[in-house]
Amino acid sequence: MKGRGVPIAIVLLLVVAAVATALADRSSTRWRVPEGRSEVVFWHFWGGKDRPVVEAIAERFNASQDKFFVRPIAMPGNNLDLKFFLSVAGEDPPDVVNQDDPIVADWAQRGAITPLDELATADEIEQLSGWLFPAAREVGSYQGRLYALCNGLDIRALYYNARVLEEHGLSPPRTLAELDAAALAIAPPAPSGPHERFGYLPDPRRIWSWGIVFGGRFYDPETERVTADDERIVAALDWMASYSRTYGADQVARFRKGDQALPGASFPLFEGRYAMIMDGQWRVAEIAAVQAVARARGDEPPRYGVVPLPPPSKGVANAGWVNGNFFVVPRGAKNPRGAWEFMKYWSGAMGNEASAARACSAGGWIPASQSVVDHPVFQEHLRRLPLFATFVELAASPRQVPTPAVPGAQYLQDEVIRAADDAIYKLVPAREALSAATQRAQERIEAAREAR
Amino acid sequence: MIHRRQLRSTATAASFLAPWLVGLLLLVVYPFVASLLWSFTSYDMLSPPRPVGGVNYTRLAEELWTGQRFGLAVWNTLYFAALSVPLSITLGILLAVMLSWNVRGRAVYRTLFFLPSVVPAVASSILWLWLLNPQSGLVNYLLSLIGLPGPGWFNSTAEAAWVPGWFSGRGGFGSKDALVLMSLWGVGNFMIIYLAAIADIPQSLYEAAELDGAGRLRRFWHITLPMLSPVIFFNLVMGLIHAVQAFTQVYIVSEGSGAPAGSTLVLSLYIFLAAFKYLEMGYASAVAWTLLVITMVVTLMLFRSSRRWVYYQGARR
Repeated sequence: MKGRGVPIAIVLLLVVAAVATALADRSSTRWRVPEGRSEVVFWHFWGGKDRPVVEAIAERFNASQDKFFVRPIAMPGNNLDLKFFLSVAGEDPPDVVNQDDPIVADWAQRGAITPLDELATADEIEQLSGWLFPAAREVGSYQGRLYALCNGLDIRALYYNARVLEEHGLSPPRTLAELDAAALAIAPPAPSGPHERFGYLPDPRRIWSWGIVFGGRFYDPETERVTADDERIVAALDWMASYSRTYGADQVARFRKGDQALPGASFPLFEGRYAMIMDGQWRVAEIAAVQAVARARGDEPPRYGVVPLPPPSKGVANAGWVNGNFFVVPRGAKNPRGAWEFMKYWSGAMGNEASAARACSAGGWIPASQSVVDHPVFQEHLRRLPLFATFVELAASPRQVPTPAVPGAQYLQDEVIRAADDAIYKLVPAREALSAATQRAQERIEAAREAR
Repeated sequence: MIHRRQLRSTATAASFLAPWLVGLLLLVVYPFVASLLWSFTSYDMLSPPRPVGGVNYTRLAEELWTGQRFGLAVWNTLYFAALSVPLSITLGILLAVMLSWNVRGRAVYRTLFFLPSVVPAVASSILWLWLLNPQSGLVNYLLSLIGLPGPGWFNSTAEAAWVPGWFSGRGGFGSKDALVLMSLWGVGNFMIIYLAAIADIPQSLYEAAELDGAGRLRRFWHITLPMLSPVIFFNLVMGLIHAVQAFTQVYIVSEGSGAPAGSTLVLSLYIFLAAFKYLEMGYASAVAWTLLVITMVVTLMLFRSSRRWVYYQGARR
């Protein structure tokens, strides 16, 4: 018995080695740099069904090129920041990174990324600032200088289940009062037992949207003060917490937490657990998929619609919080020229609208510029998915505001969400929660500003 | 001559030890010392550390005093450790005692109870997220069958063991209680050590006790427990260190945020966020050192108390 074990082990090892070699070989031929071209190492966080879309864009770019060759590397989204930082600190960064967290100011402040005016000509920079949507420009700027090139915006609006609203004789809400009335009509507060369905429930993360819809701003660049305790933001959070007071904080918590992260068919709007829910444009394609499945089964497809966030009486229409995907070039990148070419190709800048329109249609992203929106390829996409149009219109609005571009912005963003958590789940008074968050964030921002 | 041979054998030994020693120096000693120094600086990894004196520690003291951020993290960590360690020790002993009985299929039961502790933490955390989902989870469904209201588990900030909460309407099982439940599932590690120790207890002791008319419970209390006490002590110390450093499962169930409302923000997650999300290496180092001091103080207290309740067979009394 003893003697037989050794050959078996050797055979097993050989098999494992053969499989590993075969796999490694397959991936290396796909992204092997052709003779005479320089490699552009590209880090991104897209996985799952998005990853092939991203790789197809890289392949199209590579086919269009005779100088550069992009090799995309998928990184888990949670730790991309960390890996990026370690790579810059260790002086071996990639050539270009795509991100969507509010880190431009932090990274720029610490000299971890290259300002775009060092990569592009003065002409190109001038052209860019008029070409980008205001929100896309703001997402990539720090202290008036462009550090990141936005290639897609994420916009949020209110989705609704048309059938449920009709059953209750309601139309899609245009004001906050209508939203409240609809939510109460669909799910009257009942002392007996938990609800199976809610009309609407606010998610703590959405304080960033509602604060802006209520007319507030989280930071004042003039005075360099955090203003998350602004009266209008307090009013917004107090309104959000009113749902916890109506239904009970624990009920709201068990229904709400983690809901929005649920992908595809498990999205609670599709499961009928909400009549209205705030989310981003990526659900449009999922709605189409759900409807297609129903049609294929011979059922009547469910009907969903989308409206801009309904403002309160003194609030702001077509407003909200916006973030975006953007490219940055790390300091010490070996191939910044190639990185810049790839960035232009994907985002659509400098006459690349056709490639950007194709990328945005395939990935379900909102272009960073009106001229990409106007491209026939993207217009065709809009015809196919009409719900997308609401988001594209909102993207052009200057009332779509990103997280302030200050060092420590990530801390500010999280701290405000934690305050909303406290107000909604623990019923801490909105003013108290936001004042504490404002103070802490201000301290951190001042400390971060000292870093050089 | 002897001198040279000795020298050579020392050199041989050193060369065999070298890889490990280099690893120890680079990966343990250096970060250990560096983090102590950094805890007195402001450091973001990209710019050189700036000395700031004791600022990081005064910030910790302030947050501890107000019960915010760091204070919350300390509370969450202590709550988790104070529940999960004693419960898993008790459960481990009970299981081990029952599995030491001569019943049919004993080996199968032993394997079954040990199995969960070899499941990777990430997989088991995701499994528990589903089981304890308040809307669609199996646990709340089973509870509903017998007419019990299902707790909010990972979605709730409630703390079942915090008695004052019962009267303010915030009772019930919350996120930390769910974490404790999860940790009990992995009790097999403890159990296996108890099983070995129980097998080591001389039968003559039980026989003598039986002759004196001691029943099962008495034999357990006066023989099994004292004979197990060194192992219980070992598990207590290791379990405590393990609980205070809990990270993976917390990171998974809260998606790295300590949600909901900071109720699962334990110290190691807090260190991770401060260091790698908010780039406050200096502050994170200060938290890490405070964590070390807390762990050391508690461990020393346990060692002190052990003289009174741990019985070593070989030791002179």
